[in-house]
Amino acid sequence: MRIFSNTLRPYLGTVRASLTAALNLENFSSQIVERHNKPEIESKKSRELILQPLLITRTALEKVLIEPSVNSVRLSIKIKQADEIERILAHKFTRFMMMRAEGFVVLRRKAIEGYDISFLITNQQTEKLLKHKIVDFIIQFMEDVDKEISEMKLSLNARARIVAETYLTSFGN
Amino acid sequence: MILLEPENVIIKKVVNEKLQKPTSLDQTFVDFDGVRYHMWTPNSKSKNEIILSMSVACWSELEAYGAFQVLQQHYGSDVQKGVEPGYDVSISVDLNTIPQDLEQRNQYINNLSLLKRNAMSAPFLQAFQTQKQLEGTDIPTDGSPIPQGPLLELHYRNQEAIYIQAGIDRVTVIFSTVFQEETDKIFGRVFLQEFVDARKLPSIQTAPQVLYSTREPPLEIRHLPNLIKSDDVGYVTFVLFPRHFANEHIAASTISRIQLFRNYLHYHIKCSKAYMHSRMRTRVADFLKILNRAKLDKNESERKTITGRTFRSR
Repeated sequence: MRIFSNTLRPYLGTVRASLTAALNLENFSSQIVERHNKPEIESKKSRELILQPLLITRTALEKVLIEPSVNSVRLSIKIKQADEIERILAHKFTRFMMMRAEGFVVLRRKAIEGYDISFLITNQQTEKLLKHKIVDFIIQFMEDVDKEISEMKLSLNARARIVAETYLTSFGN
Repeated sequence: MILLEPENVIIKKVVNEKLQKPTSLDQTFVDFDGVRYHMWTPNSKSKNEIILSMSVACWSELEAYGAFQVLQQHYGSDVQKGVEPGYDVSISVDLNTIPQDLEQRNQYINNLSLLKRNAMSAPFLQAFQTQKQLEGTDIPTDGSPIPQGPLLELHYRNQEAIYIQAGIDRVTVIFSTVFQEETDKIFGRVFLQEFVDARKLPSIQTAPQVLYSTREPPLEIRHLPNLIKSDDVGYVTFVLFPRHFANEHIAASTISRIQLFRNYLHYHIKCSKAYMHSRMRTRVADFLKILNRAKLDKNESERKTITGRTFRSR
């Protein structure tokens, strides 16, 4: 049983519920360009096809933006970055993932302004993939990414400590 | 391997190999801080004569601090200047005269492999000597400046330098180091902070005092004209007390350690980055596995064994 801090559970719960609700997608051809079928949330050509975006905020540093539309949903995450080290680790990690976006079918190659990582889920993907598993993946990602960053930070500090101690101790002898 | 070794492994290896079987040789290799070596047999007939040449970026400065004399102490008349164009100092090694006794031989070869370290030790030795001379003097009470030795500068790398200054009761060694990218800078700050904190532990109270600052140079070198003012530059100050160079043996090990500080720091920053990278790789692979669970199973057709019987998984 995983122990959640008391605000993480409702946060992830809300993201899960909102995303599941937003993932109600259907095939929808473009109304503007003939024979085009593009994610409406990206093209933003027809206002009536875009739904109200949802912003779920845990703290000022951590938030999720869900932008639904008729045939696609865009979900952007801002990862908690309390200090410089966490900022650089989060940046490295998200960059690392986005460079491998080909493998992660739902991952957007570039995060939208103000967020660290974005996912774009289209109706084609919800047809090919199990919807609840996509939601599971995103929730799992949000959980693990925080854990990974804090672990990396700890290991960096531990390493620095050992390195410094070994070097300084060598002067004593 | 947490600590870096002061000796050059290639010199050691090559000399040992040639002792077994002398062959003609022409090899160039490098060491830390842009030091280049060239090892070759000048005479194609006698393969026992080897010349080991070294080029150091800051040789003119080192020579001013008496590096050549220091090398002469270590290598006697074998060491010469200007033998080979493009290299600063050369040592001629005659394989026939290397001591036969195993222990002596290892010592000889070890000494050879410490060529860079020995050359770089000159300013440190000079500063230690100055400190010994200053030791008796009292701190003036009339407000006149405290007597101190000259500031020895060693621009051993492009943009980076070591500054050494002797005082009445201490020798201050200041490293300036450049962090090439954002990550290095932040990792470097974490590492340097740990150096400062680790010094406070009761078990390492005998270590030199460590101070660090980024951007702002320490007071000792603030007057120097050509310091780079940028966020990428870090200054690390080590305060060596007389106990760190009380006798020749301790002084030698202190010099070997402190010379490699900059390399040690950067080596471990690179190691941490490599570790993070491999960690992220595994984590991303895990995420991919989770996402692949979302893929719908393809309807498999009935599988049959080779004899034609139906294969059923339970």
